Amino acid sequence: MATRDSLIQVTDLKKYYNKGAIKALDGVTVDINRGDVMVVIGPSGSGKSTFLRSLNLLEEPTSGSIVFDGVDITKKKVKNAEGKMVKLDIDQHRQKMGMVFQHFNLFPHMTILDNMTLAPIKVKGMDKAAAEEKALALLDRVGLKDRAGAYPIQLSGGQKQRVAIVRALAMEPEVMLFDEPTSALDPEMVGEVLEVMKELAHEGMTMVVVTHEMGFAREVGNRVLFMADGQLLEQGSPEDIFGNPQHPRLKDFLSKVL
Amino acid sequence: MSNFIQWANFPKILPYAQLFKQGLVVTVLLSLFTVMIGFVLALILAVMRLSNFRPFRSLGLDKDGHLRDGGFLLALSKFNPLDFLATAYVEILRSTPVLVQILIIYYGVFSVIKLPSFMIFGFIKFERFFPGVVAMGMNSGAYLCEIIRSGLQSIDGGQTEAARSLGLTQTQNMRYIILPQAIKNILPAIANEFVVIIKESAITYTIGVQDIMSAVNAVKGATFIIMEPLLVATAIYFCLCFPTSKVIAYFERRMSRGDKR
Repeated sequence: MATRDSLIQVTDLKKYYNKGAIKALDGVTVDINRGDVMVVIGPSGSGKSTFLRSLNLLEEPTSGSIVFDGVDITKKKVKNAEGKMVKLDIDQHRQKMGMVFQHFNLFPHMTILDNMTLAPIKVKGMDKAAAEEKALALLDRVGLKDRAGAYPIQLSGGQKQRVAIVRALAMEPEVMLFDEPTSALDPEMVGEVLEVMKELAHEGMTMVVVTHEMGFAREVGNRVLFMADGQLLEQGSPEDIFGNPQHPRLKDFLSKVL
Repeated sequence: MSNFIQWANFPKILPYAQLFKQGLVVTVLLSLFTVMIGFVLALILAVMRLSNFRPFRSLGLDKDGHLRDGGFLLALSKFNPLDFLATAYVEILRSTPVLVQILIIYYGVFSVIKLPSFMIFGFIKFERFFPGVVAMGMNSGAYLCEIIRSGLQSIDGGQTEAARSLGLTQTQNMRYIILPQAIKNILPAIANEFVVIIKESAITYTIGVQDIMSAVNAVKGATFIIMEPLLVATAIYFCLCFPTSKVIAYFERRMSRGDKR
């Protein structure tokens, strides 16, 4: 097991629409530790995707704080090393948070290899040869090295999602965020993607996974969060959540999905 | 209607063939310059409309640096004056007749700004051609702006999310992800706008630009025949526009064949 120090501290996170008429997130507080595989479950519309997307500020929270690596990234301005207030550079923090989307979001006008090397070259300033070597090694890991020159359209859903995962890994993130990574896949392709995620978890990668795959939550997760109506109603180990649920909403939810 | 069209009248137009030839050159040049001015203007307008320039942004934050819940200050913090100006320009230009715009530019703006009076190629009157190009360019800029804007916005939002989550800046996202994909949607629409401008440019004869329509007018004035020169003009416009739009359609098909979505 990896070290257990805290990586992201989320405090009282709220996301309101229409001046509070819709509460997508209604005060979520949670600590994410290094090495955690945190699985977020809950009925649709419960705010789990909003929660995940808030973590790298794809959604701008209404209030609350997200401290990532010691910096509150919800603040527009932060103190720099000399104690001066400077504009927060969110791009810098986003590089360290890999994200995998339900609909893959590969760049259709680029080859797989270019998809993978774009950010390392343009954002991190890696040289092209090194970035490509690294990308090929990552592709090899997910069994897609021979498809490096292909375009996303030529790949199956499962292959696309595996590419999306290693594209995020190419930036060497400190945490990987998965937003329903298998929900858009044909059933026979779900396994290959979960397999990659499982490997990643065993290597000690910190992961936050929003999913409907209860098997994955139970088998791979070390913490499970249950959300409903924008609130975090219950959290615990997979054994507790699935074996001994407390909250009536959770019991109701589990009776429907298991 | 026995003398609706008289074949005998066509030879009478022949002495004026030079006028039609010059008119054709003027129409083509006018349309090309219009598209160029329109495109540059449209790019600026589209960037303004899609910009994230919010000078009062800080008013929307409370003392802890968080977003306010609502109220006037939050609304003010979201106000983008660049977007407002560009939108106003586009809506005004699209909601008024191009004839009115041309007359205002020619009799209004260029009565204040005095243009030098000289000839291009010996037959294009600059002081009439230039206001025509400016007015047409300003008008087509409004339409092209909407073409560019919708082309950019047609790209799935997930592309931007993926790019930003990888740490790319908004500018890098535009340059490497959005623009390369949007250009494919935008280029054929711009070429089509060119065809539209060729036809619309006929209206500039009202301010004395000597295009194809003005050749028709000259023949009418000198010989009192009207239908036959109009038919000649029709044929010229058709020969300009029809092949052009066919060529565009061909390239459009070819480009969409390789479409990755």
